[in-house]
Amino acid sequence: MAKTVKIKVFRYDPDIDKEPHYETYEVPYSEGLMILDALNYIYENIDGTLAYRWACRAGQCGSCAVIINGKPKIACRAALEKEEDVTITPLLQFPVIKDLVVDLERGLRRIERMRPYVERVKKAPRPEIMTAEAIEPIKEFRECIECWACISACPAVAEAWQEFSGPMYHAKFARLQFDERDVEDRVKMAFIEGLYKCTTCRACVEVCPKEIEIPEKAIEKMRAIAVRTGLGPLPGHAEYTSRAIKFGRTVDKIGTSLLEMVQTGYAARVKNPKDTVGYFPGCLTDYRLQEVGKAIIEILTKNNIEVIVPSEFTCCGSPLIRAGLVDEAKENLVPKNVKILEGLGVKTVVTGCPGCGMTIKRNYPELIGRELGFETMHVSQYLARNVDLNVNDMTSVNVKATIHNPCHLNRGLGAPDDLENVMSKIPGVKLVEMEEADRCCGAGGGVRAGERSISMMMARRKGEFIINSGAEACVTQCPFCYIQIRDILKQLGYEQIKVYDLADLMVKSYRGEKP
Amino acid sequence: MAEGGVNAALGNVDPEDSWESHFKDTVKGGAWINNQKLVETLTKEAPERILDLEEYGALFDRTPEGKIVQRPFGKQSYRRTCYASDRTGHEFMATLVEEVRRRDIDVMEEIFVTNLLKTNNTVVGAFGIEYKTGDFLVFRAKATVLAAGGTGRIYKTTSNAAQDTGDGYAMGYRAGASLIDMEMFQFHPTGMVFPESACGRLVTEGVRGEGGILTNINNERFMKRYDPRLELAGRDVVARANATEILEGRGTPHGGVYLNISHVDAHIIEDRLKTMLRQFLDTGVDIRKEPMEVAPTAHHLMGGVMVNEEVATDLKGLWAAGEVTGGIQGGNRLGGNALAGTQVFGKIAGENAAKYAQNVEKPSIDLAQVKKEIKHAQSSLERRKGIRPVQVRTKLANLMWDKVGIFRTGKELQEAISEIGRMQMEEIPRLYATGKGTRYNHEWIKTFEVENMVLTAEMMARAALMREETRGAHYRKDLPKTDNKNWFVNIVIKQENGKMMFKKVPVVMTLLKQGA
Ligand SMILES: Cc1cc2nc3c(=O)[nH]c(=O)nc-3n(C[C@H](O)[C@H](O)[C@H](O)COP(=O)(O)OP(=O)(O)OC[C@H]3O[C@@H](n4cnc5c(N)ncnc54)[C@H](O)[C@@H]3O)c2cc1C
Ligand code: SF4
Ligand code: SF4
Ligand code: FES
Repeated sequence: MAKTVKIKVFRYDPDIDKEPHYETYEVPYSEGLMILDALNYIYENIDGTLAYRWACRAGQCGSCAVIINGKPKIACRAALEKEEDVTITPLLQFPVIKDLVVDLERGLRRIERMRPYVERVKKAPRPEIMTAEAIEPIKEFRECIECWACISACPAVAEAWQEFSGPMYHAKFARLQFDERDVEDRVKMAFIEGLYKCTTCRACVEVCPKEIEIPEKAIEKMRAIAVRTGLGPLPGHAEYTSRAIKFGRTVDKIGTSLLEMVQTGYAARVKNPKDTVGYFPGCLTDYRLQEVGKAIIEILTKNNIEVIVPSEFTCCGSPLIRAGLVDEAKENLVPKNVKILEGLGVKTVVTGCPGCGMTIKRNYPELIGRELGFETMHVSQYLARNVDLNVNDMTSVNVKATIHNPCHLNRGLGAPDDLENVMSKIPGVKLVEMEEADRCCGAGGGVRAGERSISMMMARRKGEFIINSGAEACVTQCPFCYIQIRDILKQLGYEQIKVYDLADLMVKSYRGEKP
Repeated sequence: MAEGGVNAALGNVDPEDSWESHFKDTVKGGAWINNQKLVETLTKEAPERILDLEEYGALFDRTPEGKIVQRPFGKQSYRRTCYASDRTGHEFMATLVEEVRRRDIDVMEEIFVTNLLKTNNTVVGAFGIEYKTGDFLVFRAKATVLAAGGTGRIYKTTSNAAQDTGDGYAMGYRAGASLIDMEMFQFHPTGMVFPESACGRLVTEGVRGEGGILTNINNERFMKRYDPRLELAGRDVVARANATEILEGRGTPHGGVYLNISHVDAHIIEDRLKTMLRQFLDTGVDIRKEPMEVAPTAHHLMGGVMVNEEVATDLKGLWAAGEVTGGIQGGNRLGGNALAGTQVFGKIAGENAAKYAQNVEKPSIDLAQVKKEIKHAQSSLERRKGIRPVQVRTKLANLMWDKVGIFRTGKELQEAISEIGRMQMEEIPRLYATGKGTRYNHEWIKTFEVENMVLTAEMMARAALMREETRGAHYRKDLPKTDNKNWFVNIVIKQENGKMMFKKVPVVMTLLKQGA
């Protein structure tokens, strides 16, 4: 018999049904089938009452977006996987008309309100001269097909759509701002529509059928203009950004820093090292989470990797860049770090902070106008990909734990599975799944500092997922996520759920300590 | 949705270009049966309409001097096709939607129009159903513009969207308008063949415009055998060449021919053919490195509702524009001319309809007609058993592909016509929707669409049987010669006393004598 796939579909006709329910259909599988084909199959062969939208079946009209196993996607370009059962639900944020068809009116009205067209004061010259360079920054945004997938995926929109219109709208603001023909102040409009509420989690990029880089190319670029015109950054950003510019750290020093605790400037001694890496601790690890830093060095050493810790470094600039202080980061921080890190003479620099990693890897080359002389990796990425992990020296930690996958690791550095891969190798870890392990905790993008209330709403949802998972511990590997999650679990009265940086847990396993 | 580009003799890349040259290319390309008055308007006004779009905010790709860039398209004397990567149609729509928002024009979305309404032989609006609620709507209008697009969905393999079901032709016909050139249907030479899910999806002519090469399984650049213009010959020629290679056993494993662009710089492909790159990457083919497999796909109806230079139909109160109209593209449309047509004639239609509306009273609606529409709409909901629209559509789409396709014969056309006749009699009256609710019941809506498809198919097949020669996209295997003595005419269809009547009318010529 031909292989079939089970498709579970959200069904709801408000005229008839008391409440929504799911129906499961079996659809024959063949290579290259898309989710839209499956829906068509169901409509054509099983149930003619199924309501869903489609038109072009070529990824061009944007009408067919639905949520597929939790991720909003356009159905005509989402492949049906052979071995996988599928659940299909309607887009979030919109009322359901029927089944998978939602009423977009609220979203459309909001587009109209933003005056989404090139506003001119003078009559356009005919023909109009515009260079290829002038249209280059806008072209990408023009590809948007208004499929609403990003709106449905955005964690900030999910908490407070009134306050933050969301990625698609901000792509439109940016498109108009960067269009030299448009005379409106789109930065101000974007500011009012929540420019500083985006956590730069990249959930929108992940689902966008046109892969539009909204956080990097719209939000952060618009924040940079907001800063230049005095609208940004927010009061909550002032203290740590100016501290970073003045002292090279976003936080002030309490007690002994990591750099003062460990051997710096040359490699930690390992016999017959398999590799030598540079280690970039980042502000929070140096001044607040020193134990995590020490653990990372110890773990690498246990795996026969030589580690060079620079004797000095400055803040990577991420907190500044995310807040729009790009010029400041470019001037005061970036060149210094580039010199230090390239001076280490290593092929690979690892960091335990995904924010630092993403910034060095993605932003530095653009800011200095050339590629870097080394590869940047998050430590879990490095351990998962470049190291044959030493499990012989590990002892059982015996903990029921769940994973929070940091956005800037998962989507920023493009490493969705590495954290789990490494963690699953630690003996005694009983992994339990939480709902949406890759959902943003709300800490990033300067949102925790600048927009505390929406940040905590996102955190609360994360906290609830962690609690519902039944885990005794939540493991992550990002100083920002770590602090955010610890805070929210405490606020929710679940301090007994421990929060670990992966390095913490792993080093305990090597040391034979019980967590 | 249109991809490759739009023709306008701006002369930005080739300064020698002119509207006259565009005119000549269009008429020649159309196998001489275009209405030359309409072609004149098209080619003269296209440049202005492109600049309009730019004024509204459109972003076309640029020349080094900062003007709109133009690429070569099939059968055109100069590089004339303006584009925004390979998503030109999307750029058009995005821009027009923005302009509609700027002017705060009221738009009602997801309304299905079932028929035009008439009073005293004048079109006075339309009857429709709102998807969201299933409510019936009567539009009372001093002037109506028909712009319902094409009908590719009557074929099994098509580049067209789900909504391209020939509603406009059928509504026009039922209201008593004349239709012209309904036998002239264009098969685009290059549609995807694999996987099945992608079958028919368009591979834009832009690929060939940027240097794409067609080869068969023997690695032969077979277009050499068919036309000196090779890959940039007319669409009809390339489509038939591709089909012939496949039929004669020189096709690829998936039943296509190879289209290769991998010799072109990767960054050019990434920039100018971004949609194609993605569309093939989805199926595991990297067009920067490997050839595509392609085969003809049903694409565009050249014929349609007949209009004059004012784009008025022969019904009072009704104008028409876009693919729903006929006469402009003749026997074969040049790639890039459809988009140009939508802008040129859309503007004229709107202006003339508005002018007319200012000078007439608000018409009255004939309630008997409205009741008839309601009754018709309710019948397929009330019916408990019968035949589902998808069943009819599947049968029709196969029939049209097999018998009213790229290659036609009198015998097969005859067979198609009798089968269509049977469907009209036996199946259309039994159409029903499984669900009985009116809220977003798209199977219900599809009952109307299928009815329209069958009617459109009938017009196409019967006109094709009538035209006893080969011309443009209409290729009769049994009559492979062009017969200018008897068939240098247009075929016009009109409903008279409930019957489908056909007549030959002389071609409207202005500037170019045939063969000149
Ligand atoms: C894949 C593809 C690529 C193409 N590429 C090009 C190109 O590069 N250059 C070029 O010049 N041409 C191209 N064409 C052709 C061109 O896109 C079409 O001819 C043109 O878009 C038709 O425009 P239109 O406004 O007449 O109809 P459409 O754009 O089809 O609009 C018709 C509208 O009417 C609505 N409608 C239909 N029936 C009803 C009803 N009963 N009630 C209510 N509403 C209804 C439809 O939903 C639709 O919104 C391409 C076509 C396709 C399919
Ligand atoms: S990056 Fe995250 S928070 Fe920002 S717009 Fe995209 S989805 Fe929303
Ligand atoms: S930005 Fe991308 S995901 Fe969002 S609406 Fe546009 S195309 Fe869809
Ligand atoms: S059907 Fe048009 S984008 Fe999917």
